[in-house]
Amino acid sequence: MRDTEVYAMYPFGKGMARHLPFLLLMIPTALYVLFGFGPSLVTVVFSFTDATGIPGTEWHFIGWENYRTFFTASNADDQMKAIGRSLYFAFAVVLIQNAVALFVAVLLNRKLKGDVFYRATLFLPVVLGVTVSGLIWQLMFNPMGGPVQRILKMFGTSSNFFGSYEVAFDLIIFVQIWMYMGYSMTIFLAGLQSIPRDLYEAGYIDGAKGWTAFRHITYPMIAPAVTVNMLLSIIGALQTFDIIYVLTGGKFETSTLAWNVFAAAFGSTSADYGRASAIGMIQFVFVLIFAVTAMVYFRKREVEL
Amino acid sequence: MRKWSAMLLALVMVFTLAACGGGSGDGGGKNNSGSSSSPSSSSGNGGGGSAGDKPVTLRVLHWINEPVNKFMTDVFIPQFEQKYPNVKVEYTTVPSDDTYDQLMQTRINANDADIMAYRSAFVGAPQEWSPGAADPLWKQWADAGLIADLTNESFLSHYNQTDVENAVMYNGKAYGVNMGKVSFTGLYYNKEIFEKYNLQIPKTWDEFVNLLETLKSNGVTPLGFAGRDVWPFNLAVQGLQATIHDDQLEYIKGLWTGETKFTDPVAIEILEKAQVLMNYAHEGFMGLDYGTLPSVFASGQVAMVADGTWNAPTYASLNPDLKFGYFPIPGSNDPAKNANLAGKYDMTWMVVEKSPNKEWALKFLEEMSIPENYTAFVNAAGFLPNQDVKVESEFINEIMPYLGEFKLAWDQLFINRENVGQYASASSVHAEFLKPAGPIATAQELAALSQKDWDAAAPK
Repeated sequence: MRDTEVYAMYPFGKGMARHLPFLLLMIPTALYVLFGFGPSLVTVVFSFTDATGIPGTEWHFIGWENYRTFFTASNADDQMKAIGRSLYFAFAVVLIQNAVALFVAVLLNRKLKGDVFYRATLFLPVVLGVTVSGLIWQLMFNPMGGPVQRILKMFGTSSNFFGSYEVAFDLIIFVQIWMYMGYSMTIFLAGLQSIPRDLYEAGYIDGAKGWTAFRHITYPMIAPAVTVNMLLSIIGALQTFDIIYVLTGGKFETSTLAWNVFAAAFGSTSADYGRASAIGMIQFVFVLIFAVTAMVYFRKREVEL
Repeated sequence: MRKWSAMLLALVMVFTLAACGGGSGDGGGKNNSGSSSSPSSSSGNGGGGSAGDKPVTLRVLHWINEPVNKFMTDVFIPQFEQKYPNVKVEYTTVPSDDTYDQLMQTRINANDADIMAYRSAFVGAPQEWSPGAADPLWKQWADAGLIADLTNESFLSHYNQTDVENAVMYNGKAYGVNMGKVSFTGLYYNKEIFEKYNLQIPKTWDEFVNLLETLKSNGVTPLGFAGRDVWPFNLAVQGLQATIHDDQLEYIKGLWTGETKFTDPVAIEILEKAQVLMNYAHEGFMGLDYGTLPSVFASGQVAMVADGTWNAPTYASLNPDLKFGYFPIPGSNDPAKNANLAGKYDMTWMVVEKSPNKEWALKFLEEMSIPENYTAFVNAAGFLPNQDVKVESEFINEIMPYLGEFKLAWDQLFINRENVGQYASASSVHAEFLKPAGPIATAQELAALSQKDWDAAAPK
């Protein structure tokens, strides 16, 4: 056998060298177990204890007590309202963000003049991050002479924006969509650009153009991109607490389940890791149910070439 | 097969994303190391004590409060480092919200700090009349032996005994050094606007409403609030509570035993008067954040704002020509009840018990407690002093008459039940739910909701 054939059969050589890929894979796996999976498992254990996280204090296993408290304590109503808001938030974000992103991606997929500029501009908020985006929109929605307030005044009205019980939560949803639309758009664009031109040509001959072409060629072909975008936005939306932290701090009825996890773990005036872990686990199960359901559903709709 | 492995991969992705979502460390902090310190190799005798001369880095945690931070980095820390050349102070500051609580918790758990500033005095420990109430952080730390007992440190004797007892004593031991008091139940007022319309500081509620009406009829916006952060508006509500209740502590105890209720006439009166204040506030006050409030007042857009005395240096620096004063919100029609300001003990230094540099941390507090240095500190911070020293601030000296006997405000006295619903959460009185700020129309409705949430959380 010539050398090249040997390499083709054993790309990593023979003997011990064959195990090299596995050894190399061990490094990220070990890091993941140590810093990702391990702490997650410890959270499960913590959720059944009354641990405070303060060194030198005793802690005990207290069974399901933390979970029972969550669902039956006197403020359980507020918790249920927060879960309701999480669902509303996720539903609105997933639907609007993906619809807008797909629409913009289809537009940008045509060879427009200056499409690179539009793409970069629309992607910009993703790069800015939560704090900068929060600051921008606080300035835009400044009730004392901010630009949006001025426009409202032209119509003879005004608003407290992030300090208003009526609109604060919807404004947070708006900012969330503004921040991540570019991300979904990029994934859709990648999907769109991988569709071979000849499919459209063949479709054109068969009479598929415009909406029909989109419905029967474009949409099935970007199904994997749809799955990815749906999953990412469902998980992302259900877990969002950072933009709430920046814009309202959970006040004015803008707290969600994810926000409550954060508040229980870091925001409260006394340390209670057990309680925070339990709410974290509830949040995890909550996200998991929606994510897995969505994944199975969208996977089924995908077609393979 | 390909489909299944893709499925598996996606599942792993879901797990990873769902399980370890957004952790946030104590990033975003700012380290200011004193730059003027001499090299640690210097063996010179700089007045160093018996602790030896091995190089030490003293880690001090504090929150962002510009006048105080500036005093620490520009005056006190260089002075301390000059006196003890082997010590280098690492002074870390972060925003004074949850970020700071989180930083303290992380650092004390990791034993990675020597001195920490606590955001208040040691208040809120459960009392015999508040069964089942949760322990505040400082108590959890003291009970776990994480913060040092300073009872026998000689520098405590510089401070007034009553202040030490009220602010830092727990189980007969002093666990910190409280640096001073602030008041926040009054209003800043613009002296020029008051002069222009020939207005006097109101002594009763009726006089106050007249004054608000006069300003309004002259086209001047009477009141400014930072409603978006809620707590700054709540300062005004605490002003009403401090002057309308006969005895706040008795009323709070009564809430626990059931002798008093959130629906009592006195509590309704407070909520209704809070509603009156809101109706005289500027447009969009519920959207205004605390950081922007001073500029609204300093630029003369409103005649009065609700804020604490700690912020006087900010007002003065924003507009050096601004003439302003401070008076207690007169909630009652009895001038005697309106005569005093209420407030709280502000920051408390704590020494981390297991710190390897404990000796130096104590030296740091000893140095700060020397009357000369302490005076410089309170002057920079705008605090009311806990030592018998003279303050320079004209502003503080002007409000001294309102501070005859220091009164604690509602949020320093109130102890909440666990898992209480939103209408009675935190410090329990939430006028921000009332119109025009919130969705609830009348004080009676809100009071009934608060009482319902409070009753539901009663210890079983």
